[in-house]
Amino acid sequence: MTVQIPTLTSERLTLRGPDARDIDALSAFYASDRSRFVGGPMNREQTWRQLATEIGHWTLRGYGRWMVDLTATGATVGMVGLWNPEGWPEPEIGWDLMNGHEGHGYATEAALTARAYAYDVLGWSTAISLVKPGNDGSAHVALRLGARMDGEYSHVRFGHLDIYRHPAPADLVNGGAEAYA
Amino acid sequence: MTAFTARDIPVLETERLILRGPQPQDYPDFRATFSSYRSRFMGGPLNPYETWMLYAAEIGHWQIRGYGMWMMHDKASNKPLGMAGGWNPASWPEAELAWIIWPETAGKGYALEGTNAARDYFYDQLGWDGVVSYLDPKNLASIRLAERLGAQKDTQAQTVDGNDVCYRHPSRSDLKDSQIADGIAMELRSYQDPLFQPKGYALD
Repeated sequence: MTVQIPTLTSERLTLRGPDARDIDALSAFYASDRSRFVGGPMNREQTWRQLATEIGHWTLRGYGRWMVDLTATGATVGMVGLWNPEGWPEPEIGWDLMNGHEGHGYATEAALTARAYAYDVLGWSTAISLVKPGNDGSAHVALRLGARMDGEYSHVRFGHLDIYRHPAPADLVNGGAEAYA
Repeated sequence: MTAFTARDIPVLETERLILRGPQPQDYPDFRATFSSYRSRFMGGPLNPYETWMLYAAEIGHWQIRGYGMWMMHDKASNKPLGMAGGWNPASWPEAELAWIIWPETAGKGYALEGTNAARDYFYDQLGWDGVVSYLDPKNLASIRLAERLGAQKDTQAQTVDGNDVCYRHPSRSDLKDSQIADGIAMELRSYQDPLFQPKGYALD
């Protein structure tokens, strides 16, 4: 069995498949209080399983989340992409920034790339993002991407989440990647 | 756009089984077992979200470790029967030989056949010197399988969380051409060919 995870690039970023090298960056993120909106904090064992799950998601769904590297330095700054485990309300565009890489617009840039892939390559007709109330930084990214509040959802592990709905492909100029950049 | 090709999961064949990497279409049986009481010795029962996340992790384990759990299929019908293989998440003291059989397929020696093939693969192809199995002391079916595989309780070994028991398998050199290996082959032949009645060997 072969899993093909595409590598995508944007102006500053390279989006690549997750692999064993990512355990340290992910462990630091999930050990920190910054992960409290996305299921953390988690210990290294839980993080290891999360990394394995991220990889397996690609096999089960044909899409998943990418690790986001700064193309210039190779530094891993985030984990961004398409997420749809069993029980999810709809396929989601999600973003996590690794510690110390907030405030540079990396989440927005990577999410735009992921959304363009979902719309242009996978043929999605819509997409949501789930934001935990209080996670103002993530809500701000959703708004910058043109997404708007569209209901709420309650999850067995994450509790109450706000649903943000992205503009449909037809509502984005030139398929999306440039529209809100 | 470029793509990287991830590690291929090897396919193993035995007399009755074909072992492949877990695939999306194999998920319903996994979900049925892990949402049921049958998974009580493996951290279950799990809710649907946890079950799916674990199944994805079974696949990702292959990419991170280079080995993992195979889905065992009946060679003739392709029906999924259960899983067998290697399991070694971050907090495991040692690499484990693990297995789980879907309920309706228990009692036919499939777990023995699958785990024996997996262990041979780890020893012969990956060059492992040994392997252990971490079992719940109440999981008598699995303890019996560990014993049929020649594993013995290792009371000195570190366990996963103190509630489990470590069974240590015969090392690669101890297993080679051993009476244990012959006994496994004989027992498997009795399942593969029901008319085959080994002399002096108790079948259960």
